[in-house]
Amino acid sequence: MARKTKSAAIAACMTGALVLAGCGGGGPSAGGGKISDDKVVLAVLNDQSGVYKDLSGPNSVEAVKMAVADYQKKYGDKAVASDIEVISADHQNKPDIANTKAQEMYDRQKADIILDVPTSSAALAVAGVAKQKKKLFIDVGAGTTELTGASCNKYTFHWAYDTAMLAKGAASQVKNGGKKWSLVYPDYAFGQDMNKSFTSAIKEGGGTVQQSIPTPFPNDNFATFITKAASSKPDVIGTMAAGGDLINFVKQFNQSGMRDKATLAVGLMFITDIHSLGVDQFAGTTFTDAWYWNFDKKNREWADRFKEKTDTRPSFAHAANYSAALQYLEAVQRAGTDDSDAVVGELEGKKLNDVFLRDGEVRADHNVIHDTYLAEVKKKSEVNEPWDYEKIINTIPAADAYEPVSKACSL
Amino acid sequence: MSAFIQYTLQGLAAGGFYALAALGLAVIFGVLGVVNFAHGACYMLGAVVSAVLLDVVGLHFWPALVIVPILMFLFGVLLERVFVQWLLRLDVLYNFLLTFGIALVLVDLVKRRYGVSGLPYEQPAGLRGQLHLGSLSLPTYQVFVFAFSMLVCVLVWLLLTRTRIGMIVRASTEEPERTRALGINVNRWVTPVFGFGIGLAGLAGVLAAPFRAITADMGGNFVIILFAVVVIGGLGSVLGAVVAGFLVGLVEAYGQAYASSFSQIAIFVLMALVILVRPAGLFGRQETA
Amino acid sequence: MLEVTCLSAWYGEAQVLTDVSLAVHEGEVATLVGRNGAGKTTLLRCVMGLHRSLEGQLRLDERDLDRLSPNARARAGIGWVPDDRGIYASLTVEENLTLPPVVSADRAWPVEQIYEAFPALADRRASMGTQLSGGEQQMLAMARVLRMGSSLLLLDEPSEGLAPVIVQRIGEIIRQITDHGVGVLLVEQNVTFAATVADRHYLLAQGRVVEQLDNAQFQAREHELLEHLGI
Repeated sequence: MARKTKSAAIAACMTGALVLAGCGGGGPSAGGGKISDDKVVLAVLNDQSGVYKDLSGPNSVEAVKMAVADYQKKYGDKAVASDIEVISADHQNKPDIANTKAQEMYDRQKADIILDVPTSSAALAVAGVAKQKKKLFIDVGAGTTELTGASCNKYTFHWAYDTAMLAKGAASQVKNGGKKWSLVYPDYAFGQDMNKSFTSAIKEGGGTVQQSIPTPFPNDNFATFITKAASSKPDVIGTMAAGGDLINFVKQFNQSGMRDKATLAVGLMFITDIHSLGVDQFAGTTFTDAWYWNFDKKNREWADRFKEKTDTRPSFAHAANYSAALQYLEAVQRAGTDDSDAVVGELEGKKLNDVFLRDGEVRADHNVIHDTYLAEVKKKSEVNEPWDYEKIINTIPAADAYEPVSKACSL
Repeated sequence: MSAFIQYTLQGLAAGGFYALAALGLAVIFGVLGVVNFAHGACYMLGAVVSAVLLDVVGLHFWPALVIVPILMFLFGVLLERVFVQWLLRLDVLYNFLLTFGIALVLVDLVKRRYGVSGLPYEQPAGLRGQLHLGSLSLPTYQVFVFAFSMLVCVLVWLLLTRTRIGMIVRASTEEPERTRALGINVNRWVTPVFGFGIGLAGLAGVLAAPFRAITADMGGNFVIILFAVVVIGGLGSVLGAVVAGFLVGLVEAYGQAYASSFSQIAIFVLMALVILVRPAGLFGRQETA
Repeated sequence: MLEVTCLSAWYGEAQVLTDVSLAVHEGEVATLVGRNGAGKTTLLRCVMGLHRSLEGQLRLDERDLDRLSPNARARAGIGWVPDDRGIYASLTVEENLTLPPVVSADRAWPVEQIYEAFPALADRRASMGTQLSGGEQQMLAMARVLRMGSSLLLLDEPSEGLAPVIVQRIGEIIRQITDHGVGVLLVEQNVTFAATVADRHYLLAQGRVVEQLDNAQFQAREHELLEHLGI
């Protein structure tokens, strides 16, 4: 068996060599051996089957393929990366699997970059592999600030959002009148992190946090937590629950009648969450969005193209994966090679703009900052078409949307 | 003080729901001696089927409350005939493997077909808003779930204690072999009892749809609480399941109110204490040699 | 009516019955007498279909029992009073009584007749089964098979641990039902009691029938048997 595989591999190598020899003379001038293995491989490593499947998952692979197509269309014959492959794998949100898959992708599948990787612990694991292998990693799906803090490294970038940015966006409603807050958070790393970020952002914004209530994770029954959170008569009740727990929370929050007395702010929410629960249940809820498909004409055009491929509207994670893949390929183009250090050099410090990044900038800590938005979920009567769920209340300029560069980070 | 009463009412409301959901588990264990690890998945299926029926044929909550448990009963009968009946003469390890396997398959099938983000559901007509009692207010739906669960528990109790079927079920639960030797075809009751237990799980699923996330994974965490309930109440004891359901509901509510981080641990501490003092559970028969 | 031919039975590797043959006829009481562990209860369980590891033939009224399940055997007319009496804790006295089906309407005792015969049960019909005293439980177990109308009773030590008055009462009932054609296979260690009710006796030792005696012979050798049995 092993023998057979080996000989098959040798055969494949030889055919490859023959083809190369055949085209050597008349091929595109840009080739020239500067592309490792003569191919640029973009690897999407994310949740293909679990709780984050819908908000990113297989459709992010599609988004990355769109970026590849756009790059090829733009540069045509002049493209540095003439042969581009997109591969993907399921890390099941487990750090150990993410670790193994990342090594496999970099080593065996010759990936030049890994994209997405939701779940903070998994993202941190992949960042470690990227550092060791000196290959690029752009994280989109995870929220931890540690990727650009204590665990930052030269080859890792954080593209779409982090917990600090979510908190700053949400806290921007303090100036719209939401001064008194009660926070309810799931008692594990992500929830604790969010609780901390929100508390400091609300205080900075001039609001007060009356209560911070930890809940088990996962949890089905929030009835008493909601009563308790409401007991201090806050303007805003903030929940850091995600996925199924978030839906549990919102359904029970609505039934408790609290919706008439306080605004519900959700720490981390994707448009896919609103879609699955129905816009009615979320109406009036506020949350920080990194990007909204129906925000302007440019977003909408891209979302239409996305819909043709996937039959659904994109979440911000889909758009961010597109943007990350596209900006990576642009950097390869500028560098004229897919050599990691050269590409990193082409990304660092750059001001970037595309359908996802507005006023974007790759900071010194490799946090990619951009304008963010405070969104409110529409009432059912305001919805004009499927997935038309959000009203943008505040736009938070890139400069104010994130924490300053972390002192903990040295590349 | 009024806050305390509010928490207590919430605990009782949650407890009624736990009691109802645990009832099927208790009945199945009682008669078949099978610990049904697929109970959470069947609960999930009840909720998912309700959501799908609402979406596809516009079947609302109230008719679903009748139709979905019947569908789940039939599903239970099918499961018993195809799989579970072979367990009855095998080692308990197979019981775990089979029912756990069924749960995984069901969860994965639902994931494949309906994704992972969950399905939307309506607020049932007539059960929106809150009920006010002086300074207290409780969601109408919570009160309904409590009252309805109680009604079902009482009906099941009457069925078990006041009918010939119930008598046979109790006798089979206590001593299946002897009951056979007294001329009762115990095997004939096994299939409908299993179906009945699955029907109850499905009913709990329908009740869950308006106030819980309808996702493929919704049964996973829930079934753990249900096992705590039946262990506390005594495996196979119907009365035990009901009493323990309320106990767990109250412990959870007080935990949420006064020691947030420990609200779920508190349930299992209670379970550990009960096992220490009465290994067969509050209402379980102590095994005699 | 009951014919047992060359019956051998095992618990795992251990053989507990070896080539046992015996018969019980209509209206007759046959006892199985033997020490603890001689295989008496196992023999009853074989007849009832509860013990499956066996060879040999079991026939009831010329009908082969082999392929019948325990519940079918009960319906064919075998009534079992187990040695632990088998009263359900979760059923009331009346439920314990009416749980089994009536297998022969001619022979079955109506509930009223049972309450007349056992007034103690009538008084406590709503109590839970295990709240009864030992003697009452034994009465209830007997009453239960009487109500079924079984044609063959398997009685496993009905006199064990009971007051003499009650033992006497049980003897009366046994004679009363055999007058109506019911056959009884009685497992008994109380030799005196056995001698008062039985027509024939099988002595069982180490899983074999060592002797078959009629009641006259049995009574004549009562003292020797007592010693032999070590009771």
